[in-house]
Amino acid sequence: MRRLAVCAVTLSTLLPLAACSRRTASLKPQAQRVVVYVSEDQVFSQPVLEAFQKETGIEVRAVYDTEEAKSTGVMNRLMAEKDNPQADVYWANEPIRAEVLRQRGVAEAYDSPAAEGIPATFRDPEGYWTGFSARLRVLIVNDAVEKPPRSVLDLADRTWRGKVVLANPLFGTTTSHMAALFVRLGDAEARGFLDRLKANGVRLTTSNGESADQVAAGQAGVSLVDSDDAINRVRRGDPIRMIVPDQEPGGLGCFVVPNAVVLIHGGPHPDAARRLADYLLSPDTERRLAEADCAQIPLHAGVPVPKDVPSLGSIRVMKVSYAAVARKMVEIQQELKAWAGY
Amino acid sequence: MSPVRRAVLGSAVLLLVVAGLLPVAGMILRSLTAGGHLGFEAYRGLLGSARQWSLAGNSLLLAALTTVAALLLGVPAGVLVGRTDLPGRRLLAALLAMPLLLPPYLNAVAWMAAGSASGPVARVLGEGAARTLSHWLFGLPGCVLVLSTAFMPLIMLLVAAALRGVPPRLEEAGLLAAPWRTVLLRISLPLAAPAILLGAALVFLLALGDVTVPPSFRYPVFAVESLSQFSAFYDLSAATAAAMPLAAITAAVLGLEALVSRWTGAGTAGRGREPGPPPTVPLGRFRLPAAVTAWSVAGLLVGAPLLILVLRAGGPASYAAALGQAGGSLVRGLLLAAVGGTLLAAEGFLLAVLGVERPRGAGAAADATALFLFAVPGAVMGVGLIVLWNHPWANLIYATPLILLLGYLARSTAVTLRICRATLELVPPGLVEAGRVAGIGWGRRLVWILAPAAWRGLAAAWLAGAVFCLRDVGMTLLVHPPGWDTLPVRIMTLAANGAPELIAALCVLLVAATVIPVGLLAGLVGRMEAGS
Amino acid sequence: MSLLALEDVRVTFGHRVALDGVSLAVEVGERLVLLGPSGCGKTTVLRLLAGLAVPDRGRVLIGGRLAAAEGRLLVEPEQRGLGMVFQDLALWPHLSVAGNLELGLRARGTPRTDRRRRVRAMLELVELGELAGARPGELSGGQQQRVALARALVLEPEALLLDEPLSSLDLELARRLRTEILRLQERLGFTLVHVTHDPEEADQMATRTLRMDRGRLAG
Repeated sequence: MRRLAVCAVTLSTLLPLAACSRRTASLKPQAQRVVVYVSEDQVFSQPVLEAFQKETGIEVRAVYDTEEAKSTGVMNRLMAEKDNPQADVYWANEPIRAEVLRQRGVAEAYDSPAAEGIPATFRDPEGYWTGFSARLRVLIVNDAVEKPPRSVLDLADRTWRGKVVLANPLFGTTTSHMAALFVRLGDAEARGFLDRLKANGVRLTTSNGESADQVAAGQAGVSLVDSDDAINRVRRGDPIRMIVPDQEPGGLGCFVVPNAVVLIHGGPHPDAARRLADYLLSPDTERRLAEADCAQIPLHAGVPVPKDVPSLGSIRVMKVSYAAVARKMVEIQQELKAWAGY
Repeated sequence: MSPVRRAVLGSAVLLLVVAGLLPVAGMILRSLTAGGHLGFEAYRGLLGSARQWSLAGNSLLLAALTTVAALLLGVPAGVLVGRTDLPGRRLLAALLAMPLLLPPYLNAVAWMAAGSASGPVARVLGEGAARTLSHWLFGLPGCVLVLSTAFMPLIMLLVAAALRGVPPRLEEAGLLAAPWRTVLLRISLPLAAPAILLGAALVFLLALGDVTVPPSFRYPVFAVESLSQFSAFYDLSAATAAAMPLAAITAAVLGLEALVSRWTGAGTAGRGREPGPPPTVPLGRFRLPAAVTAWSVAGLLVGAPLLILVLRAGGPASYAAALGQAGGSLVRGLLLAAVGGTLLAAEGFLLAVLGVERPRGAGAAADATALFLFAVPGAVMGVGLIVLWNHPWANLIYATPLILLLGYLARSTAVTLRICRATLELVPPGLVEAGRVAGIGWGRRLVWILAPAAWRGLAAAWLAGAVFCLRDVGMTLLVHPPGWDTLPVRIMTLAANGAPELIAALCVLLVAATVIPVGLLAGLVGRMEAGS
Repeated sequence: MSLLALEDVRVTFGHRVALDGVSLAVEVGERLVLLGPSGCGKTTVLRLLAGLAVPDRGRVLIGGRLAAAEGRLLVEPEQRGLGMVFQDLALWPHLSVAGNLELGLRARGTPRTDRRRRVRAMLELVELGELAGARPGELSGGQQQRVALARALVLEPEALLLDEPLSSLDLELARRLRTEILRLQERLGFTLVHVTHDPEEADQMATRTLRMDRGRLAG
């Protein structure tokens, strides 16, 4: 009996070890593998990467980020691994992170043929990152609200006193959005907006998802979230509306947040990396992401989209340079920290 | 000292230092040299802001409340399952211990599902009740509920073990003059005080360092928010500096625990060498009420969340989808756990041998180190491992699952060390001395006499080690090589916008993958024990 | 030259003095009995000789060679070539009777066939040939006693140290086993150091008796 147990334990140890050694042995750089770090939600990104693997035969090894545990950002891994890169490609869920990587020398320039047709606004001029499938920064309004706001700047009006929630501006797309307002409006006016927002009793949440949930539950009247947060809840039947803000002629325009693909400088599989980048930037991937629950908006013209997903052509887009937004973000960091009460 | 002994125990100590202490030391050094020169620059922003202090207050409050709740539940539970004739006490112990084997956020997922608009509470008691529950859960109460359920078993198991180690004659001497109730309260529990103290210290630290549950319930704590500096501002030195207060508190609490337990005369309870099980305490007329209470609590804290997850997961289609999405992660997690468990059992056994042979010097140092590393937050360890190992010359370690094994070794050696140590102390010293006199050298005594004599402890250590590898999230999330994520990590990353049924099914899979092997092995060991 | 010798040894455990100023010499072939009440330090004498304890002061000599002195262990127990039977016997519970006897031989690198032969012969000698495959837990107290004895003797030690091995047996069985030990000693010719609190046992076993009291040799 005891011998049996010893055998069982030995086997259960040695077999996995053998399996491990087989896996590790095959970890040497090869052409037929690509390592990608992903900030886009795994639920949406994984099917795309699996399709790539199936179509090309190139094995995809992915590290996903999680929204929940903010401590884990793959961005930091990329930065920490700069001198010894493990990744070939970074799939960012917004271009600011990609811009930061460019500035820190982690990115590698690549002019993908698949990027043809993507408006220049959504691409780094030197090719260090290229945007695709975008989210919009939209207003989400509870159905009980009778006269919804039309502009982001309306949120600072007295009408909305105590009724606005906003995700912590130190994280994610809310940070970029604030920085974009600073770039577009100028520092003084943007600062004034933030101050009035605070005086108006804005409440901070930990994420856009939480903001959207609070609006859906009627705990808040209105919030500023990503379009996927809003579309999701509309599809779920929550009592909310999505409003694309600042669409009147001469208005600010809606801030658009595309995904971005970045090649990592010195990554172990450069050829496969380019093929993956081409794949992600293709109209086909954009269509897939538009149809998925993330309801992202294609940047190539002519990609078919579901009915509840707005198309890029129908929207007045906020005109900003993402590089300028990234620089501004670093500049106003301390200010935002103080504003958020850090 | 024999050269074999020196080499073997030396490498065990070295392994612990390299796997655990070096990463932490590396981080300290790095945070002090931020900006290219020695100084406290990275710490300035950290200590100067009011927000950090209020976060620290939240963290300490959460840790303190969790500890109190875990003590209130764990000490009585330890007494009941360890020493009394409570009906079904073994099964109860197993049920209550289950949350310790699983990542704590599983319970958080379940409770949030319970309070959701389409959850069971809404269906049975109406939407109002569900809203009240969900309102109450979000924030401090939810965190305390989940974390105390998750860590209470530590106290329960330590108390039960300590009570079983109280020399029966001490209790028998008391029974001549007083009833069991008094003996338990005045003799047995005070003798188990060091175990209770250690349990409380560990629960406090684990609650302090948890980064998975507070974000689920939207309760801002230091560990999460400070480490997210790492995320928000892409600054490794700042993140390191932010992690340091946690490491410092960990060291301080464990130091205090050691001091207090020495002061209260620890170690008197642990070394029972008298053969045979300790006498069972009859509950008498309290037997039924105690059983009803204990089983209800276990049902509410452990059974209900599990049931909620099973209900939410729904039919086989969810499980098929879950296996399709995360089957690979499950297999990888189990493989890593098997190998990690073996490493941990071996390392724990060797350090326990060192502890028995040198209870004051090197053994005590190794024990303290292992405990410290056990309580250091996983994310801190993860950052440390990246800083230390991400170099071209270390690719064989950093770019392979070896980095995870190192991390597991650092994080959980304390568990296997303590289990092995408890077993080794029950091995009569004569067995080893007889070997010495018979001319058997140190290494062979270890393999031929000590390991077989302590095989039950080794098996338990292997199992516990494997389970602690499988449940790790904080560290694994940060350092797993591409393509090597484990099931708990996959659940975390899928939780962002994933379908609730899928997440629930994944959680149930993880529970099954943990509990079934543990149950089978425990059953096997039980049968062998009965057979011998 | 004496086979075993203690020279003015002192042993303390914390604040307690277990042995103080004890000197003794054991000659080849004799049967020395240390007689004294429990706690008098007689077990500590055996542990010093075996190398399981180290004197704080004084010296221990084995075969004329310095084995321990002034707090330092110079010859490890496993290198002293002595046999010892412990008070609680300390049989290895996970090994069979034969396995208990074989382990020491294996450690010395004795070839397998040789090992088997010697174990069998020794078990025959203590009349346990039938029980070679049994576990210690399955044996009676007297049988366990004989296994412990056989385990020590199979290594052909120059001296056998007996630490009250018969104290837990009933009088009749103890008497029979003493006779058996004497028979074995006659046949195999080892030196015997025997510790007991029982004067009758001392009378039957000893060629020489030393009395001990409170850590010192008396008389």
